[in-house]
Amino acid sequence: MMDSLDAVVTQVQALSGSADDCVHLAGLLKQSESVLAVHAPRLLYALAALDPAKHSLGYLYLLEAHSSGTLSKEQAGSFVVAASNFLTVCSADQIRLAIDKFNILCRRLKDQAMQMMEPSCAILPLYAAIRKSQPSSEYLTPLHADYLLLCLLSKCYKAGLNILEDDIFEIDQKRTGLMPRDFLLHCYYGGMLYIGLKRFGKALEFFQHAITAPATVLNAITIAAYKKFVLVCLIHNGQVPPFPKYTPSVVQRNLKSCAQDYFDLANLYNSRNIMDVKRCVNAHEDVFKNDTNLGLANQVIASLYKRNIQRLTQTYLTLSLQDIADTVQLDGPKEAELHILQMIQDGEIFATINQKDGMVSFQEDPEQYNTRKMANMLDSEIQHIIRLAKKLSSVDEQVLCDQNYLSKIGKDRPRYDPDDFELVPQKMYTNL
Amino acid sequence: MAVSVNGRVGGGSTAAGLSAVQEAIKAQRFADLAELLDTLELETAATGTGIPQDWPYTIHLLAHVVVGDLNSARFLWKRIPAPVKQNNLELIAAWKIVKCLWAHGHAAVHEALRSYSWSPEVQQVISAVAENYSQKMLKLLYTAYSTISVSDAAGCLGMTEQEVVSYTMQHGWTLDPVAKMLTVSPNVSSVEQKTDASQLQSLTEYVFHLEH
Repeated sequence: MMDSLDAVVTQVQALSGSADDCVHLAGLLKQSESVLAVHAPRLLYALAALDPAKHSLGYLYLLEAHSSGTLSKEQAGSFVVAASNFLTVCSADQIRLAIDKFNILCRRLKDQAMQMMEPSCAILPLYAAIRKSQPSSEYLTPLHADYLLLCLLSKCYKAGLNILEDDIFEIDQKRTGLMPRDFLLHCYYGGMLYIGLKRFGKALEFFQHAITAPATVLNAITIAAYKKFVLVCLIHNGQVPPFPKYTPSVVQRNLKSCAQDYFDLANLYNSRNIMDVKRCVNAHEDVFKNDTNLGLANQVIASLYKRNIQRLTQTYLTLSLQDIADTVQLDGPKEAELHILQMIQDGEIFATINQKDGMVSFQEDPEQYNTRKMANMLDSEIQHIIRLAKKLSSVDEQVLCDQNYLSKIGKDRPRYDPDDFELVPQKMYTNL
Repeated sequence: MAVSVNGRVGGGSTAAGLSAVQEAIKAQRFADLAELLDTLELETAATGTGIPQDWPYTIHLLAHVVVGDLNSARFLWKRIPAPVKQNNLELIAAWKIVKCLWAHGHAAVHEALRSYSWSPEVQQVISAVAENYSQKMLKLLYTAYSTISVSDAAGCLGMTEQEVVSYTMQHGWTLDPVAKMLTVSPNVSSVEQKTDASQLQSLTEYVFHLEH
């Protein structure tokens, strides 16, 4: 007589062909979960009878059940190898029939890789998993955050760009199993990754998504994201903007009191006094260190030198290196020269240094926007905007046809003021 | 391992990948190196066998430097196991270059590039790094200075004072022998400004988009 585990394996082998068979199999496997749990220790041998590429759905159930208990060190090692291989070769159509199981398996692989202190070993397998579980690259999955975490921990920051550079438009809990926490973590880790790559503008974008995500209670991830947001704002823009209108009110009301030290720093930064800012960073050093933000806080100090030099360029045409050093509170003309040289190299100011007289003359941006390179750059920007605009109008249409929206707007209509639609680009067109 | 594995994770083996790296060095395609090695590193990690002891860390580090990606070089250094970082003298010498670049010690960068007798394969990448860096510094001197002391210019370009004087005089700079100052002559660089029909076509499409 065949035992129940063999029966499951036989079913999997028989029903992994057509799409209909797979749907049927998904139902059967769901019912067999208790059988699989009972046979957990034997599942590795049963897996040997299955092909991860052809019998992906069954393989997924068995491997997941096998890894659900605590694994010995050896078992963990072979689980990581088996799971990595499975994620790389499995059939996307089959695993999407059991997306929750798939997400659990991936998360377990991430946890094991982290426990083994080898986070980099799961990077490529998880990347393959993300692509397979996404209906298209516009979908966010719960695996995004895990992938970014692995990239951060293994210091493979560049690998993170593989998914960060996709524009995400779709949040679909049904098709991807995404939870709010996954979204917040994706924003938080994404922001951290961009900080590491010194792409502060992108980092701000990610943190802002975390802060403005719809919420009814304040979340620890939001608070952590906000702290980094404040520091990166200072580095990148020199000031912290007010909350956007669409920020949930619970966040607006409570966030500032959770990040008081950061606010003190932002206020002092406004005074442009380097000594005050340094003193403030020193005074709050423990807080910044605990939040692992000390490195960022030090970059805030460095950015103030640059910002103060930049301000000089708006007032003066020429200035001596000594005067610059005095105004910006640098140690001497040589240090001022190095700062300015660096800023010229990075394209942050336009100036020429006259070493003979110890003078610097500031200039306008020499860009004439007439080179081919610039034309190509503008071209790709416009292309990107056009794609976005198309996306926006299709989403807009979707909302306009939505039953819930229509019934609500029918009641509320008189209250809407045309000025609320300031952001609609119509105004831009009329100026052309 | 108890499970039969059908098909390998990540494709190509480490050995095959590393020979592709060597070929890229031979063909002087230094810009491709970083990408090649980064991918290979992740593929090797995914096999679960760990990164081999003899991973070409020095070349990997310099591959990021060649394309001016100091952030990636910095993160690679953090990934390298501590024993390798302590014992591989060539790697330590290469890391010194990264540190000098990071701190903008222009003269120190040239010094670090010269201060080690690199193995033949690494030397090729080093030469490319040195070449790129000198080019970049020359461009910077053109835009950032109207006058500069001979010694600073020599430091930035990694030349002796005599070399830098004769080199820059060829480019039309003038020397004030008393103050030992060079006056920079503006660099007339030609930039391609031609547009072609395809650009007109795309402009037409933009206007079309705006009107609809």
